[in-house]
Amino acid sequence: MKDFFETWKFRILIAIAVFLAGLLLYAAANGRLTAAPQELLSVAAAPFQKAAAWVAGGVSSVWDKYTSIDETMAENEALREENAELRRQLADYDQLKAENEAFRNLAGIQEDHPEMSFVSAFVIGRDGMDAFGGFTLDQGTVHGVERGDTVIDDEGQLLGTVIEAGLTSCRVLTILHPSFNAAGVVSRTWDNGIITGDAAYASEGQCVFTDLSRESMASVGDEIITTGLGGVYPPDILVGRIVSIEPEASGTSVVAVIQPDADVLGVKQAFIITEY
Amino acid sequence: MESRRKRRRSQLYKWGLYVLLLLACAVLQTTPGFLLIGQAKPVLLLPLALAVSVWEDEFSGALFGAVCGLMWDYTAGRTVGLLALTVMGLCFAVSVASQLYLKLNTLNFALLTAGAVWLVLSGDFLFYYAMPGYSHMLARYLGYIPLTVVMSAVLAAPLYRAVGWISETFKIDNGVI
Repeated sequence: MKDFFETWKFRILIAIAVFLAGLLLYAAANGRLTAAPQELLSVAAAPFQKAAAWVAGGVSSVWDKYTSIDETMAENEALREENAELRRQLADYDQLKAENEAFRNLAGIQEDHPEMSFVSAFVIGRDGMDAFGGFTLDQGTVHGVERGDTVIDDEGQLLGTVIEAGLTSCRVLTILHPSFNAAGVVSRTWDNGIITGDAAYASEGQCVFTDLSRESMASVGDEIITTGLGGVYPPDILVGRIVSIEPEASGTSVVAVIQPDADVLGVKQAFIITEY
Repeated sequence: MESRRKRRRSQLYKWGLYVLLLLACAVLQTTPGFLLIGQAKPVLLLPLALAVSVWEDEFSGALFGAVCGLMWDYTAGRTVGLLALTVMGLCFAVSVASQLYLKLNTLNFALLTAGAVWLVLSGDFLFYYAMPGYSHMLARYLGYIPLTVVMSAVLAAPLYRAVGWISETFKIDNGVI
């Protein structure tokens, strides 16, 4: 083993470690998450993730094909093939049905917001390490997605923003994350505030509306929408309803806890607003 | 004694299977809802990298660990290189330790994996949860890490066996008995 530290293999490992450290510093300094080597990995993994997401969502029946073909069916080859064919058709049908539904929803949203351009996407990955429900969508820069694009669900309710766009997939920072900030307003009283996440409520799938004036007339049940101020998020996107109002620690304002209209922790399909 | 061409082909098959396992683990680790219990979800990329580093040498193990780490950085949305460096270092250390000090079997590999997963997840928790000062830290830590460690250790056993099978099946026969 002592000899290993004097070999070219050890020098290669050191060079790779230095390269990775350089990537890390570069990415951290530029506020990015990914770099070229990961772009390649993401392109390789995205189709597999997509397939797995279909399976997990029950839309595809790939596993069923395998589990249902038991040994007794081997005796009836013709029937098995017919069965497999029907299942394939069913899987195609389910996929088409889901896509059809997605596009019908898109048409509805498009009617409400004719000025916006959307890309339909499916959730293909969720990692347990993200405590705030961040997920990966199956659309990337080749589909016109860019960092900073707004992500909504199939009913036009806010889910989050694209934090990193790869070639064929993108990562979404959800409204449950404390780093998420969007200008919002209480639709009934027009009180302004900031929509953001809070670790205390994220596991419940809730976010908060901060900097709400103490004199605000906002109450439980009021709807929060985006204002479009700052130009990052489009205006009038539904966020959720107030479930409680609590004093902020400094006492200068109040914080409203919001139950998002969208199912942030369980969403399977989303729309990315690429232009508005 | 095998011919050079045969050896090269068997090495290609072996590493091809390792890469397929890597993709499968990355996909299963991030499949929405797969083996999700509360907030906990098993980690598969780290046990795989450790298993390969145990069955192969320290150089190949560390390289494979770096690739697994890069994949994990991507799937978890972490800054590129952070998990890659960590997993690479762990794989190198585990490979060296298994050659010099440890006699590994499935059970103590699962225990070793549990320790490694706990270490990496705690480090990640420190950087991405504790240091930013988010509230309800303890609840998140207890709700996510212990169960994830246990689930990962349990799944490490079949991964260890699978990697062992691949390694033994495509082992180079150099004629030495």
